[in-house]
Amino acid sequence: MPRAIEIENLSYKYPDGTIALDNITLSVEHGQTVALIGPNGAGKSTLLLAMAGFIKGTGKVLIDGLQINSKNLKKVRTSLGCCLENPDDQLFMPTLFDDVAFGPLNMGLKAEQVKVRVADALKTVGLADMADKAPHHLSAGQKRAAAIATILSMSPKIITLDEPDGSLDPRNRNNLIKLLAELPQTLIIATSNMNFAAAVAGRAVLLDNGSIIADGDAKKIMSNSKMMTEHGLEVPDNFKGNNCGSFGN
Amino acid sequence: MHHAYIDKFAYQDSHIHRLDSRVKFIIVLIFTAVVISLPPTSLSVLTCYAIGPFTILVLGRVPLKFALKHILVVSPFVLVLALSCPLYDKTPFTAAFGPFTWQISLGWMRFFTILGKFIVTMSALIALVSTTRFNDLLTGLQRLGLPKLLIIQLGFLYRYIFILIDRAHHILRARAARKLRNLGTKAELKIAAAMLGSLLIRSLNTAEHVNIAMQARGFDRNWRTISKLQIRSSDLLFALTAAFFLLGLHFFVEPLLQ
Repeated sequence: MPRAIEIENLSYKYPDGTIALDNITLSVEHGQTVALIGPNGAGKSTLLLAMAGFIKGTGKVLIDGLQINSKNLKKVRTSLGCCLENPDDQLFMPTLFDDVAFGPLNMGLKAEQVKVRVADALKTVGLADMADKAPHHLSAGQKRAAAIATILSMSPKIITLDEPDGSLDPRNRNNLIKLLAELPQTLIIATSNMNFAAAVAGRAVLLDNGSIIADGDAKKIMSNSKMMTEHGLEVPDNFKGNNCGSFGN
Repeated sequence: MHHAYIDKFAYQDSHIHRLDSRVKFIIVLIFTAVVISLPPTSLSVLTCYAIGPFTILVLGRVPLKFALKHILVVSPFVLVLALSCPLYDKTPFTAAFGPFTWQISLGWMRFFTILGKFIVTMSALIALVSTTRFNDLLTGLQRLGLPKLLIIQLGFLYRYIFILIDRAHHILRARAARKLRNLGTKAELKIAAAMLGSLLIRSLNTAEHVNIAMQARGFDRNWRTISKLQIRSSDLLFALTAAFFLLGLHFFVEPLLQ
């Protein structure tokens, strides 16, 4: 069985010449939950966009065994669902139902199948009775859950989430943590909130200046206060007092 | 931020709300055309036509205060246009309303008729928007044959106009927090241009992200939705009632009042 994500020597420069990703090599097995951690501007969002085929650098990116190219881009995006940082960008249809149905309809599913998928996805995220609501009538927490539902309805094997905890209050953040823990998919979560990363992921990949600084057990990496501070991060509350010393790639 | 959404009563439930959006839209369209084509001296007939939209507002449990407030918001534009009539047309005219008659100029008569037509047609429009979810309205328009591209653009407009208003409010608030004195017209214009520029860049940024979100979910330039609209007997009954109302006014009431 191919790996969920296989990236080899991926580099990408912005049009102004700034290096966004520098020789990234990363592989993720199916079923893993990986936290992409790093300070602002580290390259986390760019890496997620590269995984979904929205930016093309040098190197190789394989999603569920498929190399990203114009021929199999549709297949790749059926395997990998990408959830953007701002739910208002993700929810662009007049009602929640239409938004969650958008992906399955584009996959070519029949209306009855789409309705079942929409109902299931909304039930999973706890918005079963809000299908007819307009996205601008939802709270921040509901919008975030709805954004995830738009991806779940496509039944992807892999889901990437960019700062999913942004602008959420503690209750909604805890709801999101519970929801993510229940999802069977491979999850790649980019976040700069270390407490959130520690709560959701077993594996952490620390990125800074477009390079992978460390990759491994989340607890080991995030307990390393020296490395975390060096890269503008902090040790999560529940890992404090577990300093494991230096940890490299 | 909370907005005074124009469709905030569209999510209620009533017999009017449950009617098919296409039927409501066509009736409002015909009603508007009939009202607009009334002669400029038909003020008393207009009051009879007003019964239609106000009945719909009441049956749809839309507060009349809400409708009047929205009519008032738009009224200055029409007032300015209508005010030109009494200035240019001073022909004497005998106005009649039931047993009452009085002398005014034809220009003033036209002014009141334009205002009356505006209030009646706006009420019909508010009744439509307040008893129909915007998405159902768009689906209805699409089923009626409006171009898909226009429907998509209207959908995006409805979805993002509130976000744009929010952003504009945030920018204005940030400006007010730091603008502690009058800066003069030139500086104010410069600031306004910068604010508009910032709003434009953020809008373009949003558009780019929405495009990514659409492509990530397999968008291939074909807009696919599931239509839930269905014409039922209640829709036919509503259409028949509206037809009787309009025909009755046109053939029986108008000749009596004119």
